Amino acid sequence: MFAFRLILASLRGLQTNLMRSLLATLGVIIGVTAVVSAMSILAGAEREIAQRFESMGADQIMVVPGSGGRGHRQARLDSLTADDAIAIREECPLIINTAAERSQPMQVKYLQKNMFATVMATTEAYQEINDYKVESGRFISREDNRATRKVCVLGHKIARELFGEVAPVGFRVKIKGIGFTVIGVMEKKGFLGMREVDSQVIVPLDTGLKRLFGFQFVGMITAQAGDQTKLDAAIQQVKRTLRGEHKIRAGSGDDFSIFTQEQAKERVADVTQIFEIVLYSIAGISLVVGGIGIMNIMLVSVTERTREIGVRIAVGARRMDIAAQFLIEAAVISMLGGALGVVVGMAFADLLEKVTRVLKTFTPPSAIVFALIMAGCVGIVSGLYPAVRASRLDPVEALRYE
Amino acid sequence: MLIKVRKLERVYRMGDHVVRALAGVDLDIEAGEFISIVGASGSGKSTFMHLLGCLDRATGGSYDLNGRNVRAMTDRELARIRNNDIGFVFQTFNLINRTPAIDNVAVPLFYGRQANTNAKAMKALERVGLAKRYKHKPSEMSGGERQRVAIARAIVNNPSVILADEPTGNLDTRTGEQILDIFHSLHQSGVTIVMVTHEMSVAAQAQRLVHMTDGLIDVDREVTPELRRDLVHSGVLGAKRIEREQEEIERTSA
Repeated sequence: MFAFRLILASLRGLQTNLMRSLLATLGVIIGVTAVVSAMSILAGAEREIAQRFESMGADQIMVVPGSGGRGHRQARLDSLTADDAIAIREECPLIINTAAERSQPMQVKYLQKNMFATVMATTEAYQEINDYKVESGRFISREDNRATRKVCVLGHKIARELFGEVAPVGFRVKIKGIGFTVIGVMEKKGFLGMREVDSQVIVPLDTGLKRLFGFQFVGMITAQAGDQTKLDAAIQQVKRTLRGEHKIRAGSGDDFSIFTQEQAKERVADVTQIFEIVLYSIAGISLVVGGIGIMNIMLVSVTERTREIGVRIAVGARRMDIAAQFLIEAAVISMLGGALGVVVGMAFADLLEKVTRVLKTFTPPSAIVFALIMAGCVGIVSGLYPAVRASRLDPVEALRYE
Repeated sequence: MLIKVRKLERVYRMGDHVVRALAGVDLDIEAGEFISIVGASGSGKSTFMHLLGCLDRATGGSYDLNGRNVRAMTDRELARIRNNDIGFVFQTFNLINRTPAIDNVAVPLFYGRQANTNAKAMKALERVGLAKRYKHKPSEMSGGERQRVAIARAIVNNPSVILADEPTGNLDTRTGEQILDIFHSLHQSGVTIVMVTHEMSVAAQAQRLVHMTDGLIDVDREVTPELRRDLVHSGVLGAKRIEREQEEIERTSA
């Protein structure tokens, strides 16, 4: 009750000194604005990434060349081949399907329209594993691959961009100057894993390797486990098979790396954690600056109101009452600054989303609570010294103060 | 006995310099008395007032208020005494300018953690004839009105004693008289009043006159109608004159 009345009294005090209180808390406003908007951007990005991982499928095992080791073999990026994919499918009982792929940005042309697109060379298994359906026409087949046919399937978006309203199936596009017949258009999908697939052009793996890329090695093999609960055992099988295929002696390191959706998520979480640490450091610094601003104004306020403090003591205020009054005032100023910062920060994040059109932002409720609690703590800490000073005033001196 | 002061001392040390602002004062005040304390500046009357008001601590002697030893009290107990038993009225009013009259009057109730503060503050404002202006801020009031708000604040907790420090010092003669009227009516309703002043005509309002010189009480006497007449008519009266009168009275009685 007493504390509540103190809060009311300090709010009334703020009214009369609104401009000064706002200036005092400017540091806190800016600090909280920065934290809330940055947290919104970060949380939005995390959410977006999480959604993309969901589309990747928890039953998938990704194999990429190189293991990050220092040896000659471990650094090689040409260690995976289409045959490895076949070997994994055939020799690992826990793996039901594999798809090898290699992609590279290339020039794609239809009549006068000319654009850069990701060309993805892969097999029919790519569609099965990713549950990625065609909208019209058909996907590339085993036959297309075996015969290295010059056919392609267009992503949903690039089909629109190249052909507009015209149905593309049956027309020819040129990739790196070579003519490819369009045999299908994919459904609208957005992202598969970290890759935006609506703008890619899919060609048969062997056609791509031989005619477009000129390499015999692949960029990634996706293996699908039959039983998601036995993912670890499946990984061991894949590992053993590949080491056998690549004739790696016991004791030597792998020349490939294996990761799953779960591990990729963890890696992203590590990166976002680094961002978070940086963010909180910036927040900490700006809140310290904000706290100094509040302390400054509170000290001025204590000096200005020396006589008032004398009167309050004369009519029966305890020293604790005086300290509490200034502490609560500092906390109220700071928390008002925090609340303003939250509003401005959310508005800023919203504006960024609208202006950039790429950023997806989301303000987690925990960020708001965190910002307000932080602001309150800053207020209390920075109000402590002025409050103690006020409570230690000699009432006789204070009443005489001009 | 409301107030019983014996050999009360207040010594300030500033380096090697020792100032005896109060050099051993004896005084008894009964409940319901109206006392003026007069003296030149530096005579120790303000220091004495601060000690009586529990704003400062004595360095020697004893002070009992309502039979309780004030010198042995903790800071917390002193705050409680100031809140419950003492009402201050200052020369410069000392109101909080940003809050309305009623809130100013309620400040002691607030620190006393009392309920129903508005009704009690309103009653105190009624007693000083300012009930109608309860919403006004001190900055919107005349000097006389401000001092009445300050008196309302002093009486809101029904204290044992009101300590007034030059309550008319910042007011013109007419408003000063209004304030003195209020003190009189408070006194008639049983409130004890101790008033510090340097104006003899103001001091003459009291029943009893105490004069201080160099930290000591040198005159303590009843204000008789004759003395009152003299004090009022002579305007400012020197301490010598009071002394002379006292001697005269003693001679005639002897």
